[in-house]
Amino acid sequence: MNDYGWFERGHVAIVTGASKGFGLAIARELARAGISLAIDARGEDALAAAERELSQSVEVVAIAGDVADAAHVHRLVEAAERRFGRIDLVVNNASTIGRSPLPPLEQLSPAAFDRIFTTNVYAPLHLIQHALPIVKRGSGGTIVNVSSDAAVEAYAGWGGYGSAKAALEHMSRILAAELEGSGVGVIVADPGDMDTELHRAAVPDADRTQLADPRDVAPALMRAIASPRPAYLRVALQAEVPVEA
Amino acid sequence: MSVAVSFALPAANEATSPPERRGLARDGVRLLVTDAASGLNRDARFRELPSFLRRGDLLVVNDSATIPAALTARRTDGPPFALHLSTRIAGDLWIAEPREPVERGERASLANGGAVTFLTPVDDRARLWYAALALPVPLEAFLARHGAPIRYRYVTEAFPLADYQTIFARVPGSAEMPSAGRPFTRRVLDDLHAAGVRVASITLHTGVSSPERRERPSREWYDVPARTATAVNATRRRGGRVVAVGTTVVRALESAAAGCEAIASRGWTDLVVTPERGVTLADGLLTGFHEPEASHLDMLRAFAGAPLLDEAYAHAIETGYLWHEFGDVQLLLAA
Repeated sequence: MNDYGWFERGHVAIVTGASKGFGLAIARELARAGISLAIDARGEDALAAAERELSQSVEVVAIAGDVADAAHVHRLVEAAERRFGRIDLVVNNASTIGRSPLPPLEQLSPAAFDRIFTTNVYAPLHLIQHALPIVKRGSGGTIVNVSSDAAVEAYAGWGGYGSAKAALEHMSRILAAELEGSGVGVIVADPGDMDTELHRAAVPDADRTQLADPRDVAPALMRAIASPRPAYLRVALQAEVPVEA
Repeated sequence: MSVAVSFALPAANEATSPPERRGLARDGVRLLVTDAASGLNRDARFRELPSFLRRGDLLVVNDSATIPAALTARRTDGPPFALHLSTRIAGDLWIAEPREPVERGERASLANGGAVTFLTPVDDRARLWYAALALPVPLEAFLARHGAPIRYRYVTEAFPLADYQTIFARVPGSAEMPSAGRPFTRRVLDDLHAAGVRVASITLHTGVSSPERRERPSREWYDVPARTATAVNATRRRGGRVVAVGTTVVRALESAAAGCEAIASRGWTDLVVTPERGVTLADGLLTGFHEPEASHLDMLRAFAGAPLLDEAYAHAIETGYLWHEFGDVQLLLAA
């Protein structure tokens, strides 16, 4: 048992982009809760370091690769199933902002737009498609798609990223409608401004002391995952700075 | 006893639709800051909220989500009438408000073969009833298909459930939106974070308020988790202020108060906060504007004192602040 409701030690989560930033923070929280992990990231060294750290508390499968590569996504799901025999949670965290500095839509090439959509929309869909049959074999599960308020608000320069996240969110709502009654819920999580590589690429001159630490935001996602599972939930996460008694 | 102040609410002060449908952003509604320390009322916009708070302050929000609790019931021999689910007691047993008189033991049909039986009134006013539901599908699915957000006469159009959710909504269970949290947006949360203001949450599922009757709020279910109790105590110990977002949060926090400390607790609460009882854990309250003679006004007086609050309300009416769940908000800071 742990603090996270329906989650039990021995359950299995896939987290993409888990070597750094928010993905690593989520993976750490899951590991603390005793959840076995299948993780990926593009950079082999950072991924290996994350695997070493996380595998001190839980079983970890780490596959280096780019979620934009459908074959890699397939391998990740296969590896998780082979090792653990089950998947209870899928966290689509890996994401790209595209070119930095952010170009206005007028100057965003279709090829660049396509790359953003490949990583931020098609890749999560591939992962969901491969993982769902396995998730459904269990007693229930949760799909988490990490989004952004750029999906909702119109921020100049965020045309590619914002459109892709808006697509991801609507896809999530439709998925939830299709999964009604299956025991699998869909969560869209908006983590807010965090001090991550993605944020540095998007807003290089931001005052980093004003940004939330992903390690303080991940626990809020954990509680959203653990709360009674509605078919669809969009949640704006807030950093929780631990306040000692 | 505090004397309930009477004032007439002009129609022009009623918000009849969400601000987003009036050309405003969610966080673009007005904010009246009533500061008991300076004895002043100040006009602002909600987006400026972080500038009225200090590093080390803690906002406590209600993460209860609104359910589409308004159903249509039909008698075999009569026209349909509205049925508002208020509070789930256990399983299929609810406290509910039929919007027409019903009799003990009466049964009415709901959509899709569902039915409701009115068992016995909650008290002798016979507005709220213990009612048993018999539904063909699980509650959540039934409400999603056949329910609508509860709406009172001042809201002139039916708006979707999303208009009745706050950014904090996580645990479904409120018959009416915990509306003080409605103006919060991602950017306000990020600004609060940058200003060193932290956010913690409680859960309190609101029952129906039926604003046309001016009654004390009925029994509601609440949960103050350990992390929030700890954050409240640590904030106060360090001289920070605890600001409750909504009267529901004050009710939950004060229900979890043991002396001047918050303790993690959950359960049913009947607590009504008045100036005589006072508030022990909250130093401020962000809330909407309340109806004349509403018992909530007693709670507001506990923060700002009667003369300053009367002044604030007179100013709000005169300068066109908007009332109700889609309206403007007030930040009350205790001295």
